[in-house]
This record gives sequence, C-alpha cells and structure tokens, in this order.
Amino acid sequence: MIPLARLLAKRLATSLIVLIGVSMLIFAIARIIPGDPARIALGPNATAEQIADLRAELHLDDHIVVQYGHFIADVARGDLGISLYTNRPVTADIALYLPATLELVLVAGVMMVGIGLPLGIWSARWRGRAADNIIRLISLLGVSAPSFVWAVILMLLFAFYLPLFPIAGRISDTYAISSVTGFLLVDTLLQGDIRAFGNAAWHIVLPAFALALSGIGQAARLTRANMVETYDKPYIEMARSYGFPARRIANHYAFRPSLIPSLTIIGLDFAAMLGNAFLVEAIFAWPGLSRYGVAVILRKDLNAIVGTVLIISATFLLVNIIVDLLIALLNPRIRYSQRPA
Amino acid sequence: MSTPTLDIQNLTLGFKGYTGFTEVLHGISLSVNPGERVALVGESGSGKSVTARIVLGLLQELRTARIGGSVRFEGRELDQLSRRERHALRGKAMSMIFQDPTSSLNPVFRIGDQFHDVLRRADPAISRDAALERAAAILAEVSVRDAERVLNAFPFQLSGGLNQRVMIAMALANEPALLIADEPGTALDVTVQAQTLHLMRKLVEEHHTAVLFISHNLGVVREFADRVYVIYKGRIVEQGATRAVFEDARHPYTRALMAAVPRLTGGGIPDIEENSPDFGAPLEIHDAEARA
Repeated sequence: MIPLARLLAKRLATSLIVLIGVSMLIFAIARIIPGDPARIALGPNATAEQIADLRAELHLDDHIVVQYGHFIADVARGDLGISLYTNRPVTADIALYLPATLELVLVAGVMMVGIGLPLGIWSARWRGRAADNIIRLISLLGVSAPSFVWAVILMLLFAFYLPLFPIAGRISDTYAISSVTGFLLVDTLLQGDIRAFGNAAWHIVLPAFALALSGIGQAARLTRANMVETYDKPYIEMARSYGFPARRIANHYAFRPSLIPSLTIIGLDFAAMLGNAFLVEAIFAWPGLSRYGVAVILRKDLNAIVGTVLIISATFLLVNIIVDLLIALLNPRIRYSQRPA
Repeated sequence: MSTPTLDIQNLTLGFKGYTGFTEVLHGISLSVNPGERVALVGESGSGKSVTARIVLGLLQELRTARIGGSVRFEGRELDQLSRRERHALRGKAMSMIFQDPTSSLNPVFRIGDQFHDVLRRADPAISRDAALERAAAILAEVSVRDAERVLNAFPFQLSGGLNQRVMIAMALANEPALLIADEPGTALDVTVQAQTLHLMRKLVEEHHTAVLFISHNLGVVREFADRVYVIYKGRIVEQGATRAVFEDARHPYTRALMAAVPRLTGGGIPDIEENSPDFGAPLEIHDAEARA
C-alpha cells in the first residue's frame, strides 16, 4: 500500500518540523519566566560563586541562540539534560512518570471509543425514541462539565459514600511489581499476577472514566449527528429497500461513512486528554507526569520543563498521525488518491 | 387470468405534520401482471416515488405517514403481513433500482461486499467467495466483462454507466418477482441511460420479471413499457396500453405532458399551465373491457 507509506512519511516529516517549532517556543518561554533557575535550585544559602558556577554549567550566561544550539546538540544524542529538581536525567524522570499518565489516557481513550461510539450508533438508530433521548441527555451531561469536576463527583459518589472503588493511587501497596514497561496493567500480566492486574484495573476505572466522560459525550454526539445525516443518503435507502437487517445498516452501512468525519475530532479529544489528565491525576493522587510537571514549572527547572512539554507534544503529534492513518484506512477515496491528503 | 404480481386498489397516503394533515395520494389503483412492464408516468411531486416506497414497505416505517387502501403482492395483502414477513419480501421477492447509481452504492464498501449482502438476502449462509462468483455471473449478463475488477472496486472508481449495470445486476440477483425502477439512470447521460435500459429490458424479459417503471421521460416509457399509468397530483388520470395512450391521449393532462416533450426540430417548450381545471378531469381508461 504505497500511498499509505507516503502519507506516513509526509506526516512524520511535518511532525518533526512542528516539534522543532515547539521546542524553540517552549525553550524561549521557559527562559522568559521571571526568576533565576540557578538561585532557586541552590536555595537561599548559596554563595554568589556557587550560583555563578551553576549558571556557567547551564550555559545560562550565553546568548539564547547559543543556548538553544547546546540544547539541540544534546537532544540529538538523546539527552534532555539534568533536572535541577530531582538531580536525575530528565529522560529518566519522564520514563518514570510518563507511563502512568499514558496508561490513564489510553484506558480513558478506549472508554471514549468503546462507550461513546456505540452510544452514538444506538442514538442514531433509535432517533426520536426514548433510548435516543436518554443517550442525548447523558452525553450532554458528559460534555457540560470538565473532567476534574467529574473526577471529584465520581470520587465522592463511588469511592467515598459508596466505597466501590479505591479513592487514590495506581495499585495497593501490598503488591510488589517490578517495572518493565511502566504500564502497571502490562507489568502485572508479565509477572503473571492476575490479582495484581485486577487490583491495578480496579484502581484505574474511576480516574479513567472521569477523564473519558466528556470525550464519551462528544464522541456519542458527533457519531449521532453524522449518522443522522448519513441515514438520509440514497445508499441507506437502497440498503433498506433490499431489506438489509437494521442492525447491519446501522453498524456498517451508516456507521462507516459517518465515522470518517468524526474521527478527526475524536483524535483531537483523545490527545487533549493528555492535558486534562494533569487535573485528574492531581485529584486521584495518580503518580503521573502532572505532579512532576507542576513541580518543575514552579522551580523553573528549565530542562525538565522543556523535556516534559516536548514529550507531550510528541505524543499529541503521534496520536494525530495515527488518526490520519486510520482515516486513510477507512476512507478509500483518500487511500487511493494520488493527491496529497 | 393469474393473480397480478402487484395489485394496488384505492391507495391513499397522507402525512401528519406540524401544520396538519396533507394528503398526497388520493386513491390510486394500478396493477402489474407477472412478466409485465408497467410504467407510472408523471411530473415531479405527482406521487410516483412514494407509491414505490409504499410497495416496498419503506414508508410504513415512517410514523407520520397515514396509508389507506389495499396493496396486494402476489395476492397477499401487505397490510396483513407481519413486519417480519413484509421485511422478508424486500430484496428477495421485490427489489428496486434508484435514480443515481453512484450515490446509491455505499461509498466506503467494495462493490463485491455490497453484492454479498444482497445475495445474503436470499441465501443467508452464502460465503463471500460463492457470492462473488455468483455476482460475476450476473454481472456478465449485464455485459460487464471484467467483473473481478468491478467487484473489487469502490463505487467512485467506476463510471456511472458501470455503476448502473451493477445496480441492475444487484436488483435482479435474487430473481425477484417484481422490480421497481424509480427513474433509473436519470442522473446518467442519455446514451448511457439508453444502453443500460436496453440491458435491463433484455434481462427482465429473460427472467420474466414484472416491472413497475417510474419515470417522467415519455420517450423512455414508450420504448420500455407494455402499459402506462399517467399520474397527476396523486390521482391516476389515464391508463391503458402504451401504444393506445401515446397514439390517442384523451386526458387533457396527458396531452399537455406529451406536448411538453422537447422536439429535435426546435420550436421551444410549449406553455403548460401550472394548474388547469381540465387536469382534474376524470380517469380515462383505454381498452377497459380487456382489463376487467
């Protein structure tokens, strides 16, 4: 499938350009925030020489363009510098915290697609009936409050008043899981510990659902709207006139063409969950990138700020590439087009 | 005489809307005998297409539609069939060809897969390979030579004429007793339309399929149909053998319709009144005694 490979290559190339732009921007912004990172890192008792030494070590006295040159040279070697907050390589910190956040976002994404799309399909199929009205009400509720509000509400309802789920954390302390991928749901299975897996899954349900709720609502509403439009197309009337089963018309003949326009937005919503995850993580004490990110920004930990933002941007871009490829896979017109998609 | 394939008696249709009740069919009666090609001719909005959709049972699912009268298919009153029985007729005992072949085929599925779904109506267990083989055989009947390429293609990769042949092949794939053709090929250019109609005619003759042919194109109707019903504003105004109606149009509306056909010799389009009191004249029946 040559056109797909070409699409992928083109998307990767533009993503690289975007990443370079993002790095310049965040590099400059991080240095504009008031405060001397060396002084903050060394604390109030540091001498002037110590501060001057650290500034020299961090190249802080050079021109910003020269600084950026140093930074890019390091990045090319896979080095994002040392965090002044943890005194460890930023890459190591990110490797430690990112998987928890990604795990949360991925599970929320699966919920968004796995719950939102079927709700949208049912809603469109039973348009105007009771099921449709109930689903529309639920999805409106979902989109009308931000995820951190849902996080608090869900936590109060299902972890506090009705203690069905754990109130915080990723897994109970009684389980010792050696980190291989950093994804607890994967590591527990690798270790063959089903009970630990169940425990980790039990912990992730509430935060992931809180994070996913607005996406579920959005996905259901989009799918419904696009499908209602598709239901008026001649090819649906044709499918009906041939007596194709109503379920097959809904799930295939009407859903597939409707999914294509929805998918771009769903992809963006999914990527936006990375940002929303920060607040949900804070509420559920989820040991992800959020606590790290907030701490390094407050401490003006330049390397860590730039590193964190770059990783999140890269993830965002990756999601977009995946969505573009999915759309191309679903839409034969794009797949077989020789023109740029 | 055998039971007609389709027998409509005094069919009425109205829609309940926000502004009240609007009746669009005021009691039409028509019949199609086995193997007979019958045309329903009229202008846009005269009620041709809704009649077809009632026969297929599509309008019955609309909650605002109010349908009266009787529609008998092979002697069975549609109204008295269960939902399931009525659904079972669609795509098997009766099928339909639409105006625009390209937009009537689903854009994101291959022709072969859509054909598979059509064939599954008659044989739910048919495998994909068997379906494609059968589809290729039917496509050959509508002079599609490279069936494999067509079945593997998406509708947008094929020409309108080719898509129309696919539609005809699909419509006749399950050997229906009744084929409803709703202005087939109106979206195609005239030569392609003529070609595909010729193929369709050949096929329905071979398979002895009854056809209800819905059109506003008098030239096409004259070529294609054995009998003609002229419909105007939800009423049949003239009916009879094609030759009789065309050579001896009696109803004022039929005459106006015939006068409105553009001539190669020019002379412009004649004025037709939007609504003449003459058009409300009673039904004209040719060779009425033969029909009884």
